[in-house]
Amino acid sequence: MAHAHSSDTAQHDDHHDQPATGIKRWLFATNHKDIGTMYLVFSLIMFFIGGAMAMIIRAELFKPGLQLVDPVFFNQMTTNHALIMIFGAVMPAFVGLANWMIPMQIGAPDMALPRMNNFSFWILPFAFTLLLSTLLVPGGMAAGGWTLYPPLSLQTGDSFPMLIFAIHMMGASSIMGAINVIVTIMNMRAPGMNLLKMPLFAWSWLITAYLLIAVMPVLAGAVTMLLTDHFFKTSFFNAAGGGDPVMFEHIFWFFGHPEVYIMVLPAFGIISEILPTFSRKPLFGATSMIYAIASIAFLSFIVWGHHMFADGMPVAAQLFYMMATMLIAVPTGVKVFNWTATMWRGSLSFEPPMLFAIAFLFLFSIGGFSGLMLAIVPADFQYNQTYFVVAHFHYVLVPGAIFGIMAGVYYWLPKWTGHMYNMTLAKWHFWLSAIFVNVLFFPQHFLGLAGMPRRIPDYAVQFTDWNMVSSIGGFAFGLAQILFPMIIVQCIRGGKKASSLVWEGTHPTGLEWTLPSPPPYHSFTTAPEVP
Amino acid sequence: MNAQTSQIRDALMKRRVRKGALGLAMLALAFYFGFIALLVLHSRH
Repeated sequence: MAHAHSSDTAQHDDHHDQPATGIKRWLFATNHKDIGTMYLVFSLIMFFIGGAMAMIIRAELFKPGLQLVDPVFFNQMTTNHALIMIFGAVMPAFVGLANWMIPMQIGAPDMALPRMNNFSFWILPFAFTLLLSTLLVPGGMAAGGWTLYPPLSLQTGDSFPMLIFAIHMMGASSIMGAINVIVTIMNMRAPGMNLLKMPLFAWSWLITAYLLIAVMPVLAGAVTMLLTDHFFKTSFFNAAGGGDPVMFEHIFWFFGHPEVYIMVLPAFGIISEILPTFSRKPLFGATSMIYAIASIAFLSFIVWGHHMFADGMPVAAQLFYMMATMLIAVPTGVKVFNWTATMWRGSLSFEPPMLFAIAFLFLFSIGGFSGLMLAIVPADFQYNQTYFVVAHFHYVLVPGAIFGIMAGVYYWLPKWTGHMYNMTLAKWHFWLSAIFVNVLFFPQHFLGLAGMPRRIPDYAVQFTDWNMVSSIGGFAFGLAQILFPMIIVQCIRGGKKASSLVWEGTHPTGLEWTLPSPPPYHSFTTAPEVP
Repeated sequence: MNAQTSQIRDALMKRRVRKGALGLAMLALAFYFGFIALLVLHSRH
């Protein structure tokens, strides 16, 4: 339902077409670019905080035995590393990219609900300050794992209500962001831009936003019930009171599995923008890409049981979840095939966004394959709770989601700032990241297959060598990430002027490339006509 | 659209955006309370 802009909507108050100055610009920001920038900066800060926790984990696991931190603190680090990376780094980064790019890609002047946009961002710093401040309360941070399984999570100390409130705030922020994306795309597309003409990044976000609206309230409901179990003597999940702890797992993973796709589908969209640009060919099977994303989103709702095979469930349920999970490989295979076919016989060039996109393609596929192994019920009984699972989901989330975000930032950064960044440094960032992410996570497959359990600060001596390799990879990967903000800051300050096309000699299709670099404060003064 | 506040001025679009946003917010609330209600029913059996 493409709705043309009325001329009134597209008009601007020319004399006000400037950002406010000072702190007010950011506190009261309603401009999609300003809010997008704040989301991206926030997520980068959270990426380094979550990364620091990962460094503590890898430092402790460098050698067997307990040397640096006590086991409770180690568990606090694993729990909060996950919460911060998922809700603080990856999700806000994609919302930031959505804020920056969706209005520019669909030819809208701004997001449809700018004040709500401001509110949904400004909730986040409070949510994460609350979460991080639990480090200072008696009993420390939550340590029962990011999955918050009862009864373990109910033993959390004074930080428990703070954690639950922080999760509620993160959820509210995500839901508001998702509502904004949907109403913007459905109502503010430029005349002539029907849904099938819409860029793949906007498409992937439209589907992701529906996923968010469906599952974030489910997580909020589950943690509300945990809260009432903890403080108001209800027994939703307390077996002693007639409750069912396994029910929490069902509800959690009804949220948790689509959450994985919430973190990956926008990356699919970004990769689908970058590969055609640097292959100098249109995206192969663009319509099938949209159907594939929609199929993956649908299937993500019916596979949650594969996280719970080892809990025990009827064989029929095991078979259903196993087969439904394997079915996801079909639309994912369509996407990987289409990306490969897009590059086939293209005039490829290897700028940093393309390098990250190609690494995404290979390394995300490794995560996908190990996911298929985990989907096999009898095999899962062996892999469950081992480092194989850790290796699997880190391959999906680091070279998957995070490389997707980095590819997107390197792709659009010259458009945002009007300057080209330091290509040599960015290539260094890529090669160090791509090499050391494998040194970090690939050995974890071997550790898991050899039986090393996850979420432990100590391990048997036979796991020493691969843990050392993994930790060295972790430290090197962490150090390499320092290049990322350096390159960004350098690019904001100056550099070679970027043209409106940015990537000369390519033929990208989105409307953002019709705007100058950097784009005006409000993207389109008159609604563009899409032929 | 006002550049300082980014507010949409077109009344028709404003109504459509508001209706869409309210509908989606209701959907989210339905999921939230719906799952809690399901669990309350489950815990009674």
